[in-house]
Amino acid sequence: MSLEKTLSQIKGSFSDYVLGLTEYAGEQIIHIKGQGVIDVLKTFKDAGFNFLADLTAIDNLTLGGFERFAVVYHLLSHGSAERVTIKAYVPEDNPVLPSIESLWKTADWQEREVFDLFGIEFEGHPNLTRIMNPDDYEGHPLRKDYPRLGRKERYDFPVIDRGIQKQKRTE
Amino acid sequence: MNHDDIKSNVLTTTIERAINWGRKNSLWPMPFGTACCGIEFMAVLAARTDISRFGAEAIRFSPRQSDLLIVAGRISIKMMPVLIRIYEQMPEPKWVISMGACASTGGVFDTYSVIQGIDNFIPVDVYIPGCPPRPEGVVESLMKLQNLVDKEKLSDYALSSSK
Repeated sequence: MSLEKTLSQIKGSFSDYVLGLTEYAGEQIIHIKGQGVIDVLKTFKDAGFNFLADLTAIDNLTLGGFERFAVVYHLLSHGSAERVTIKAYVPEDNPVLPSIESLWKTADWQEREVFDLFGIEFEGHPNLTRIMNPDDYEGHPLRKDYPRLGRKERYDFPVIDRGIQKQKRTE
Repeated sequence: MNHDDIKSNVLTTTIERAINWGRKNSLWPMPFGTACCGIEFMAVLAARTDISRFGAEAIRFSPRQSDLLIVAGRISIKMMPVLIRIYEQMPEPKWVISMGACASTGGVFDTYSVIQGIDNFIPVDVYIPGCPPRPEGVVESLMKLQNLVDKEKLSDYALSSSK
């Protein structure tokens, strides 16, 4: 099934979820609401878009957009060599959307990465824990309102002295 | 045994100088390479700048068998507890070389996740500037460290162990 047909099918059957349709650099971008992500991506997968090329997120704090956060899915069809981008918007006060780990296993770690760095939660994820930052880390560093120099995490370590070698080494 | 035999077969020195001579000529490095400086450090081990000339070719990947910690690369907040643990696992006497701009100051990575100089948390003996330093720089730092080791006093160890 071609991309155009799939897009019109999605617009027809999931009109509640679809926010808009844009095109950039010759590739289609479909903007949807966060809760519709399973239905829409399942339709794409059944239509031959079998490969989840990337899963990431955008903080729209200064960019503007339908909502504060957009989770971005890049799909590729190995059969027809077509690509499509799905942007699923979630609000700032409740950044939750369904996990697509049931559709593509590779989404497991990628959703953990988005959770770690943006604080977006994925319902139904088997193990939604931090993947990069330490487990006791607070905050989500890729949010645009996170300070670049952090909140003194980089100074929060014990200072080790020279042990039994206390003398000065200035000579 | 006559007098001439003693002159040609006996060497007099102090315990301190003998120990320091032994220590400075058998520094066993433990490389803590986290970035491109770690790759550059491999060149130091290779034939052109062969550090076995200084008795430091025995690279130990166990901190318990090494005297010299070479921190090569940026240290993130997740790596710093590991580095502290490795430093504490090394037996005394031990020395630290901070190799390159990132380990010494954080380098260009002035962000929340990168330690701005490992000397904030662990003692450092010799710093090497550069991004990454040339192998000659590492050799120079090793010779500087040998001079430091040569000047150490046994009394410092004795004093503090009675504490």
